[in-house]
Amino acid sequence: MLTTSLRIAQKALKRNKLRTGLAILGMTIGVAAVLTMFALGTGAQESVSSDVKSAGTTLIFVRSGNFTRGGEESRIPTGLGSTNSLVPADADAIAKIDGVKYASANLRERTWVETSNQRFYTQVIGVDVNHPKAYGWGFPKGKFFKSDDVASAAQVAVIGTTLRDHLFGDENPVGKEVMLHNQSYKVVGVFEARDEDQGEYAIIPYTTAQKVLGTSSIQMVTVSAEQAGDTTRISDAIKALLRKRHNLDKAVPAPGAPSALGGLQAPGLGGGANPDDFTVKTQASEALTKGLNTSVAAFILANMPQMDQTNSQEMAGTLSRAGSTMTALLAAIATISLIVGGIGIMNIMLVSVTERTREIGIRRAIGARQSDVLQQFLVEAVTLSVFGGVFGIAIGFIASFVITNVLHWPATISITAVALAFGIAAVTGVFFGFYPARRASQLSPIDALRYE
Amino acid sequence: MTTTPVISIKNLTKTYQMGEVAVHALRSVSLNINAGEFVTVIGPSGSGKSTLMHILGCLDQPTSGQYFLDGKDVSHLSDDEISSVRNSKIGFVFQGFNLLTRTSALENVELPLLYSSTPVSASERRNRAMAALEAVGLGSRYEHHTNQLSGGQQQRVAIARALLNNPSILLADEPTGNLDSRTSVEVMDIFQSLKEDRGITIVLITHEPEVAAYGSRIVAFKDGLIVSDELNEQRRTARGELAELPVAVEETA
Ligand SMILES: Nc1ncnc2c1ncn2[C@@H]1O[C@H](COP(=O)(O)OP(=O)(O)OP(=O)(O)O)[C@@H](O)[C@H]1O
Ligand SMILES: [Mg+2]
Repeated sequence: MLTTSLRIAQKALKRNKLRTGLAILGMTIGVAAVLTMFALGTGAQESVSSDVKSAGTTLIFVRSGNFTRGGEESRIPTGLGSTNSLVPADADAIAKIDGVKYASANLRERTWVETSNQRFYTQVIGVDVNHPKAYGWGFPKGKFFKSDDVASAAQVAVIGTTLRDHLFGDENPVGKEVMLHNQSYKVVGVFEARDEDQGEYAIIPYTTAQKVLGTSSIQMVTVSAEQAGDTTRISDAIKALLRKRHNLDKAVPAPGAPSALGGLQAPGLGGGANPDDFTVKTQASEALTKGLNTSVAAFILANMPQMDQTNSQEMAGTLSRAGSTMTALLAAIATISLIVGGIGIMNIMLVSVTERTREIGIRRAIGARQSDVLQQFLVEAVTLSVFGGVFGIAIGFIASFVITNVLHWPATISITAVALAFGIAAVTGVFFGFYPARRASQLSPIDALRYE
Repeated sequence: MTTTPVISIKNLTKTYQMGEVAVHALRSVSLNINAGEFVTVIGPSGSGKSTLMHILGCLDQPTSGQYFLDGKDVSHLSDDEISSVRNSKIGFVFQGFNLLTRTSALENVELPLLYSSTPVSASERRNRAMAALEAVGLGSRYEHHTNQLSGGQQQRVAIARALLNNPSILLADEPTGNLDSRTSVEVMDIFQSLKEDRGITIVLITHEPEVAAYGSRIVAFKDGLIVSDELNEQRRTARGELAELPVAVEETA
């Protein structure tokens, strides 16, 4: 009986191709919207969860300088990492804060790393001895340099696996020489990092880097907390410590007129004292503003109250709240287009029932039960919606592809989403097809037969 | 006879309310029809013949009165049971054919099997429908859509469809209305042999007394009332007449 209903439906739908096509189109749009919504939702969730994963780590970055524009007026050093407000002693002091596991003084520079026949332009980072522990680096070849090397500003280097591949290929580089600024450095180890970017780095003692850059200050302190949940408290402690060490809390002239942005705060301003001449960021906030223009990032962080103090859970909450607002909006759009598509099907089915009243009468007169007629029209409606579903899924795939590749928003289509979209299409067909089908089945046979 | 009549109606009325006016299509009709009877109903246009037929065919309900089919009160049957009665017990040939348009003759004839309570395979449906079409002389036209058939051909498709499920009752509303005299006689031959060979009960409506004369009993209607009901002593037999008629060559059959 079902196959018969399918055949009748197929015939009836073929009879009026344009009308059928338009009804399917409505459904197609609805299903495509649903699928794209799911794809965006899933994509956003995945990127949020990867952000949150990094937010769960224990790292805190202390950089010299601040984002503050107009800092010149209050005579504080501006420009992130480009000032000399941090010194190695600051790193040592931070290391003594309760709950801090490691603190590593850092300087960095982009330059050429050369061997006799290869060269590679990359980051050279000056670090302290415990830096690999903070990042959990492994050493497949050789070892990291020792505190003696740091104390003596020795010309030694460890290189990442990617850099090793570029410079030495399959050879073991340990014991070989690399050139930095025409100075020879002895390679003492190869490190393996979880973060692929770090694989390109060349690492030297920070003291050596200071010598090369001709400075006695440092650009950054990489701090590793004992516990992931503790970064907020430690960040506060670092701030307090550095403000004290840098004598920032001495009374100074008022920090200018209220902001033109009406209550929006410039970063680092507070308490009527000097602004911070350093920046403390947890890896969590780093993840949030990654890839953003510096001033935009500064603005966001300054105006998300206490972003820097926000712990990872709150971060995750904020991100998923933003995500669910987005999802709710998309879900609303998808639902509306599904309803519109469903109403389209309902409308077509009502027209079809009216047009085929005589046919219904004939079938009833010949012995079709009400349920047979109901089934016939339901099958027809579901056929429409399922075709809409199939096309909608195809278009949803295309839309997600475009969104990912052109707009660079993460959009992931899962099998569940496809199954769900298909299911929703079928259910919409049943839902919106039921009323017309029921109307058809309830017609009195003789009235239906007499219908002109 | 002591056997229960196949069809038994008592004080049947049907009134259509057209705004202020009440149209009395049937005013208290009582009638018993026994198995194997060939009843012809005759009467002027608008006298309520089709209305009665629709009630007998369980397509319509009377305003008042009772209808017993095989001794069972039809008003007590569920809609599914009535559907099943229409499907297997009653064959209906409508005044206006009522074939599905844009559908082939074969598919039209197959329809009753589609809705029969015991499922019939597609190939068997096809075979039986073909046989029925051949029986009414349309074997070569089975693929034609009904709107590509002449009125007489459509009427024969309708007859083939009505007979497909081997009904025990055949209700035919002006089945010869669109047929030429020879084809009419052919159809009457089919009906008479159904009665003789299979014992099918037939109720046939016509307003031509010549056609009514093929029945074994003639009921006359006027203004929604039975005005006469008598056994037909001078029954015409289609078989004999056919033999005397010149064989007509149908256009392309
Ligand atoms: N659905 C309806 N609504 C209103 N009046 C109707 C309806 N059906 C039939 N009638 C009326 O009932 C009366 C009987 O109609 P019916 O169709 O039974 O006549 P008939 O004897 O079959 O006529 P004919 O020989 O022309 O087919 C007519 O007066 C007709 O106008
Ligand atoms: Mg009539």
